[in-house]
Amino acid sequence: MLVWSLDEPHRLGECFPVEEAVCLGRGGPLSDDPAPRGGFFRSRPGQAAPCPPVGNARVSRLHLVLAPEGDALRVRSLGRAPLKINGTLTKDGLAREGDVVEIHNAAVFYVSLRPRVLPAAPGVGDAFGFGEPDAFGLVGESEAAWALRQAYAFAASTDRHVLVLGESGVGKELAARSIHGMSDRHERPFIARNAATMPDTLIDAELFGNAKNYPNAGMPERAGLVGEADGSTLFLDEIGDLPEKSQVHLLRVLDSDGEYQRLGEARSRRSAFRLVAATNRAAQSLKHDFLARFVHRIEIPGLPQRREDIPLVVARILSTIAAKNPRIGERFFERRAGALAEARITPELVSRLIRHPFTHHVRELERVLWLAIGCAQADYIGVTPEVEGELRDSAESATEVAEIGKEALERALADNDRSPTKAAKALGLKNRYVLIRLLKKHGLSAGTDSDKDDR
Amino acid sequence: MSSRAALLRDTLEIALCDDRFPALFYDKLFAARPSLRPMFTRNSPGAQQKMFAQKLAAIVDSVDQPELLRAEARAIAKSHASYGIRPEMYGWVGEALIAALREAVGPGEWTAEAEAAWTEAYTAVAEAVLAEPPA
Repeated sequence: MLVWSLDEPHRLGECFPVEEAVCLGRGGPLSDDPAPRGGFFRSRPGQAAPCPPVGNARVSRLHLVLAPEGDALRVRSLGRAPLKINGTLTKDGLAREGDVVEIHNAAVFYVSLRPRVLPAAPGVGDAFGFGEPDAFGLVGESEAAWALRQAYAFAASTDRHVLVLGESGVGKELAARSIHGMSDRHERPFIARNAATMPDTLIDAELFGNAKNYPNAGMPERAGLVGEADGSTLFLDEIGDLPEKSQVHLLRVLDSDGEYQRLGEARSRRSAFRLVAATNRAAQSLKHDFLARFVHRIEIPGLPQRREDIPLVVARILSTIAAKNPRIGERFFERRAGALAEARITPELVSRLIRHPFTHHVRELERVLWLAIGCAQADYIGVTPEVEGELRDSAESATEVAEIGKEALERALADNDRSPTKAAKALGLKNRYVLIRLLKKHGLSAGTDSDKDDR
Repeated sequence: MSSRAALLRDTLEIALCDDRFPALFYDKLFAARPSLRPMFTRNSPGAQQKMFAQKLAAIVDSVDQPELLRAEARAIAKSHASYGIRPEMYGWVGEALIAALREAVGPGEWTAEAEAAWTEAYTAVAEAVLAEPPA
């Protein structure tokens, strides 16, 4: 999947399937191509729309020959701009799922295993631009993103309560808003509240409301969240923080046609509300009979489960930042026909973000991007030492790095005048910052470098 | 592919390996003709340079295919009309392009044959653009 392109940033998310040996290069086929030309596709559920050939000027007419080899992809470079696999220069190498293949400063591809045509997703609208956010703000063209849209659409088409599960920062409120927006309730106001912020003694009043003058004279009548959400959707975030007693109080309203009583009122009321609850805890942490009321459970994948969407999410975050901060837009964005266009972001940063093991997902990604903007020394967003300090590689390459022991580190430093840059190079590490992290881990220190610009 | 097309393609790919090549072209153009600078303010310099490199590559890729080349010429004529570019400016652009290519490709690869091929190709494309009816 194309995840960065110097000349064609509008093509992010396009796929280049490799089912047999194929050539990749600028423009159409050449008479001396060693294999058929591969093509780019915009893959969505039930369709794969062919795209024009590469128009990127820095990609040679015949640049790469790619072929499946076991569970990997053999990548051979015949072009002028150098080939890198996971940041390492090579002319001929193997790339596996999760790896990043770069034509230096021209294009970056993420290697993933996925069907050429995604499974049909009945009931899911696709009337939004490729790579753009959908009507509810979800960004992504990965299989996981489309599976999520389908899960939202199915939940929205029913009237049952929904439990949204996922780690902090994956977009649980976005899920609730999507379900509300896709449902017949979308014209009524979406009611949202964080359950963790409700004081224990006031939870019932918050949820069910109270009669006038209850519990004290002068108290106004309140509908409560359940009443306010009549005919609409009530989103309760951090539902796992709701005490068990309060979970029990919700049981009746969740399964008896929305029957409930306001505090201080004898008569029963009904609310045709739908509860979408979210938690970052395991579903089993909820009381079992409370959990049973949620017919639909939707698990939101984190960014590491949909890495190919990261560049699209990055582009979206940056354009939102630029729209709200004109000076940032002016400094870091290209302008086409007078309007802000793509951000100037280095291929290295995109590659590193794709391989970073996010734990706080979109929130963490946004924080790293703000850090990169704040620390930028020029008019582009790249990997500064501060950003480097926040980024780690995913487990596969981290394993290789971890295998470098204390002795090897000391030897590399001794052989290279204690220069971290030279020692890092000798050890085959990406840069000196990776080495510095390793040195810290082993309680070692290096000398200082005279060349500080090898980012 | 003709040997001339292969020479144009090879020299352009060498030039484009130098990240500075598109900027070099504009630097030379504006240094020689400062009056042109205000005509290129609709796009940021980076975007303008990417568009220039892409268009140049597209022209070189179609140099052996008259129909494609004609389509490129038509698109350039339309775009240049909106920029307010006049016929005499094509000569200035050609000089800056050859000078930038010469510097980016370097003396080892930039031969008299390459310069002749580029001059001939540029003249042909400029004539084709000028032959297009005004938009």
